[in-house]
Amino acid sequence: MKIVSMLAKVDPDNCIGCQTCVRVCPVKAIKVENRKAVVNIERCSGCAACEQRCPQYAIAMIKRDEPKVVKVDVNAVDYGQIEKLCGEAKLHPEQIVCFCTGTRAEEIAAAILQGADSPEEVSHRTGARTGCKVECIQPILRLLEAAKVKLTPPKDGWQWYGRTVTVWEIPKAVREKYNWRGFYFDEDAELLDKVISAPKQERRDI
Amino acid sequence: MRAPIKPLPPRKSQYGIDPTLVKRRVSELPGMTSVMIKELFPDFPDVIFPSGVGVALVRQATEKALANIDMSCIKPEHSVNILASHHGFTLLGGEPYAEMLKTIKDVIEKKTSCKDIRLRAGVGLRFRETEEYIKRYGLDEYFKGKAIGIAPIDEGIPIETEIGTLYGLRRAYDADWIVHAHNSDVREVHFHRQVDRAVKPFGMSYARIETRSTYHQNMGPRAANFIARAIFDSPFVQKKFAFASFLTVAPNGIIGVDADSDLYALNDRVTLTGCRYYGKVMTLFGQIDECIAALDFPCPVVYVFAGGIIYANFAGANIDLYDLDTPLPPYTWYTEAFYGKAGRPLLDNIPLINPAIKMCVHNYAWIGYPVSFFSEHIPTVVVGREQADLFNRDPQNLTYMQHAVIADTTETAMEFAYNVTGTRNVLIFDGAPGGINVSVPLAELLLKKAPEVDRRVEEELLPKWLRQRGMQKFVAA
Repeated sequence: MKIVSMLAKVDPDNCIGCQTCVRVCPVKAIKVENRKAVVNIERCSGCAACEQRCPQYAIAMIKRDEPKVVKVDVNAVDYGQIEKLCGEAKLHPEQIVCFCTGTRAEEIAAAILQGADSPEEVSHRTGARTGCKVECIQPILRLLEAAKVKLTPPKDGWQWYGRTVTVWEIPKAVREKYNWRGFYFDEDAELLDKVISAPKQERRDI
Repeated sequence: MRAPIKPLPPRKSQYGIDPTLVKRRVSELPGMTSVMIKELFPDFPDVIFPSGVGVALVRQATEKALANIDMSCIKPEHSVNILASHHGFTLLGGEPYAEMLKTIKDVIEKKTSCKDIRLRAGVGLRFRETEEYIKRYGLDEYFKGKAIGIAPIDEGIPIETEIGTLYGLRRAYDADWIVHAHNSDVREVHFHRQVDRAVKPFGMSYARIETRSTYHQNMGPRAANFIARAIFDSPFVQKKFAFASFLTVAPNGIIGVDADSDLYALNDRVTLTGCRYYGKVMTLFGQIDECIAALDFPCPVVYVFAGGIIYANFAGANIDLYDLDTPLPPYTWYTEAFYGKAGRPLLDNIPLINPAIKMCVHNYAWIGYPVSFFSEHIPTVVVGREQADLFNRDPQNLTYMQHAVIADTTETAMEFAYNVTGTRNVLIFDGAPGGINVSVPLAELLLKKAPEVDRRVEEELLPKWLRQRGMQKFVAA
């Protein structure tokens, strides 16, 4: 869940239509029309990725007149399905995947089960990956992949490129070759397995 | 007792409040004093910065370190990217790191006649931070307009590694050669655990979001450190890597410059000093039984310094962060991720935040890093409405102020903290160079405990830490 209080605003006099903002927007809320960036106010998640990367400093973040609440109702989905999807992605349902918005794996899973079929759509519906824009792309991709969604990066975009390795997938030869330097591959895989199978804390109302 | 050390002044930045709004530093309040690091640990090395001659000794040390580096691979017609990271600019005002970068450029030019030398400065989660530093230290002019900040959401480049495809930043690698220009300050021990610290930027500052997320979400708290090594060892990076130059740092200041064409040899030296010097201050901080932590430095909450140790590490000082047999520190993103909906860890053996921190007085710190976990688990007083408003606008910290209270002034915040906690121990994270600003009772405690910590680290902990990292050959050193 995220309360979106900010909004990107383009200064058309400074915008050169370079498309950088389009390429970095995690919810695809910007397009360029007539060589000027245009923000979809309804869709903007206030993450400031565009403002932070615009080479012309042509975007400012302004306060929304009314904050927008972005949330997927976990209770609207069979929790058994959520648990199954999280399990296949090797995540505990209550595990936090977005540290900025506090979004848990269960909410991402619920969004996917309700039809979100890309990281951008997941971010639009849950608010995840609209804080720092960096740290939560992998668990989102893992959950989409577990749901058998075909992962195709946005054309010409820099939003994301691909899912990467997990600790369970590190080849045995690599583990044996390097473990003596303090990487604890097997122990960490075991730790994450324990987290995944930990009891839920059940407070599903918050 | 000694007078407090003058802390680094507030900095103008888009990530902090206007410096004029910082009316009072915590170290200026009654009852504060300072302890020099060398009073605590007399065996620490002498520093070349701060010194009476500014950064001249840093230039000298860089030239000396680079004198023996073979740069014959760099031809006059080639291009070179000097890769830098934001963190270096937060060390002792940033001038020493900036001077090392300038000197590296000068030496490469002189030794190779290469003219196309660029600066590519990576960031963490504040995407324009190094742009600010590039302007502040005149690096744009020094590099003749070829100095830029690079951010993790910029265009990427796939890098094939032993563990599959990972992703770097295209503009970090868009030259014939790269020079890894970093520092040995430990900073995020809760993340890297002093394993391959010298290699880490290849998985962070020079890397895309996919790679950083792999580190923080896909691997586990210790295995994560392999990500940087996988990238650095890739044929793509190896083909471009020329050498590394590090500002070497101890908790009391800059102690030199180290350079090597063999990054792993340099990494071993960095690991040794990181464990020995920072390990002692960290272990000493673990002896503090109760205190008020005062944040007062131009950096995000987690990164403010006291005695070379960042607040995020003090939040975990109730355990031995260097002991790799302990899987999870009390604070890291894996730990934070593993707190369930009832607000407690999903596993019983996940350690809680350092209970010695009775309250946090947030006098001055920046946005641009998600720290709501801290205000959720540590009673926090933020000084000034403007600072609270700044956090409320930060997309990474929309709930930080939901768990914190606001005080009008530094004085009232500290008064509140004294009254509520009952402790007079105050540890000030203000980056005081060469020492630590503290309250008198805490100074006395630190001075009393330091000799035993020194002995314990040298005789018991350091040998264990080095063995855990495959560095048995250094144990007797």
